[in-house]
Amino acid sequence: MRIAKLFRATMFGIFLLFGLIALSTSALCVYTVDKQLSSEYEANSRAIAQSIANSSLDIILNRDLSTLQSLIDQFKELQGIKYIYIVSEDGDWLAHTFVPGIPQEILSASRLPGETVERQLPGFGEFVEVSSPILDGIAGSVHVGMDKGLIALKIQTAIGQQIYLISIIFIVSIIGSYLLVNLAAGPILRLDQYARTLAAPAAPGGLPPGQAQALLERSDEVGQMARLYRHLAMGGAGAPEAR
Amino acid sequence: MTERFRSKAARHLIVAGAALAVPVLLAAQATGQADGVTRDRITVGMSAAFSGASRSLGIELYRGSMAYLEEVNRNGGVHGRRVHIQAYDDGYQPNAAIQNTLKLMREDQVFLLFNYVGTPTVTRVLPLLKKYEASHFRLFFPFTGAQPHREPPYGSLAVNLRASYRQETRGLVDNFLTIGRTRVAVFYQADAYGRSGWVGVREALAAHELKIVGEATYTRGTKYGDTLDRQVAILQDVRPDVIISIGAYEACAAFIRDARKAGLDVPIANVSFVGSESLLALLAASSTQDGRNYTANLVNSQVVPSYESATAPVVKEYRTLMERHRPAAPPGFGDGYTPLPFSFVSLEGFLNAKLLVEILTRIGPHPERRAIAETVAGLTHIELGMGSPVSFTPDRNQGSDAIYYTTVRNGRFVPIANWQEWRK
Repeated sequence: MRIAKLFRATMFGIFLLFGLIALSTSALCVYTVDKQLSSEYEANSRAIAQSIANSSLDIILNRDLSTLQSLIDQFKELQGIKYIYIVSEDGDWLAHTFVPGIPQEILSASRLPGETVERQLPGFGEFVEVSSPILDGIAGSVHVGMDKGLIALKIQTAIGQQIYLISIIFIVSIIGSYLLVNLAAGPILRLDQYARTLAAPAAPGGLPPGQAQALLERSDEVGQMARLYRHLAMGGAGAPEAR
Repeated sequence: MTERFRSKAARHLIVAGAALAVPVLLAAQATGQADGVTRDRITVGMSAAFSGASRSLGIELYRGSMAYLEEVNRNGGVHGRRVHIQAYDDGYQPNAAIQNTLKLMREDQVFLLFNYVGTPTVTRVLPLLKKYEASHFRLFFPFTGAQPHREPPYGSLAVNLRASYRQETRGLVDNFLTIGRTRVAVFYQADAYGRSGWVGVREALAAHELKIVGEATYTRGTKYGDTLDRQVAILQDVRPDVIISIGAYEACAAFIRDARKAGLDVPIANVSFVGSESLLALLAASSTQDGRNYTANLVNSQVVPSYESATAPVVKEYRTLMERHRPAAPPGFGDGYTPLPFSFVSLEGFLNAKLLVEILTRIGPHPERRAIAETVAGLTHIELGMGSPVSFTPDRNQGSDAIYYTTVRNGRFVPIANWQEWRK
């Protein structure tokens, strides 16, 4: 019973410690991954928008828009890119990748080439939209929508993996602490038995003489306590025998 | 090893290599293998959708071509050579089409590329043809009306028989405007094909100072079992007088079904790529099942004459040879597919093969790829039996401008006699 109490206290301490570690590292992870991924995706999206803008000029001026569509379809296959659209300098739509249609929020939004905006599109999700002007804006602009849901998913995955690792370490710690507590509690149990034996030598369940002797010969605190008990039981005065 | 020994060894290697190479080169020269031609066979390469939601298009195009080629081959071939189609499935996916094309050009060493299906696939293959321009590969009669292979910089690498989507959509728009249907909406596939048709509609309307009133898109590969209610709702909101649909048969049929269910009963027009018979078969089956008529108010533009028409001489020839040879699907792709007795797509394949044979015949008994461009440029007033002759010039790589309009009567697409029935 005393061992269980001792173990519960240890476990509670470990639990508190690990909880603190999990919370603090998760918060750090969310902050770091979000910041880094957002920054990386935005940079990639901007590079893609610029690349399309550079490639588009010749197509817009000289060729059919199906070629332009084919071009943006290839970029849309990249991870994280959720939509791409190209509008002319007059705001006319030239090509886009929206299915089942262009969201009303984008149709009615004002567009400034080169700006970065956050968009919430019902039915589509949350996006960071970057844009790039074509020929300094006089031939239109390219807009690339980056899926924020993907960043959230990556953060969830990272946190999940971290929690998984911490859980494994937590379980190993619990098992380890159980073994250690048991290791420490065994001699205390025997000391308890020895004290009862000294108090009532005829009572059943006393400590066998061999084990009592081993206890008395221990050089640690348990041995000292055993010797102190024996000294007191024998009605002795002064300090007990030291080892 | 001394310098002298090394040079001696190198000389031996060169002599041995030359000894091996000479017979190989001589054999290749004798058989003409270098240009995909052997003593008894000319191989042309085809990449098309033989699987997936557009499989009927690839299979029927192949079957139509094979009906004509079987007849030619049975009668001695072209200058004594059988014409063989080496066909690969791309599932209507651009990356697969690129892989197939590389295989056809590098490994199979085909004489030319033939009967490719689809705009998103063909537009991605065109740069490959440019890359291999020195090998004189040409793409013949792709089953798409898009512009990229009709215009610079790739126009010189492709030869088209069919009219363009611009011509089809312009004809549809003009006819609908004539009968007072001015609010035109577009339902289209979200890729290069859909965009090509969308541009055609937009330009045709712009000529009348009008704009597209609404648009909805779908993802390539959409199945008939999918619901397209969201697209229907988008277009219903703009109250169109007519919807022009740029898609493939499964998605377009699903859209028509869902539109009619939602009470959107305006005429819905499809362009030639849709695969009219496959579209009709799906809608007819659902009509029976649901007890509604999903096949009313459909207008499909075609780039070949109706196979129900007796006026075009090629139709009789086509029907005779389709019945005589009953061509199978490409090897390995016939499982679970019921071939159509006749279709606009297989008739187009038939016409493609007929013109191909004419070109191969004119190239002569010693075919070389380098002779293709010159031969095609000299083709003028070729009578394929469509009703109007086919001509090419160095500046024009499209043989036919003919557009035919059809609607459903008694379970079949037949030529439209009078547009007034859709007058608003």
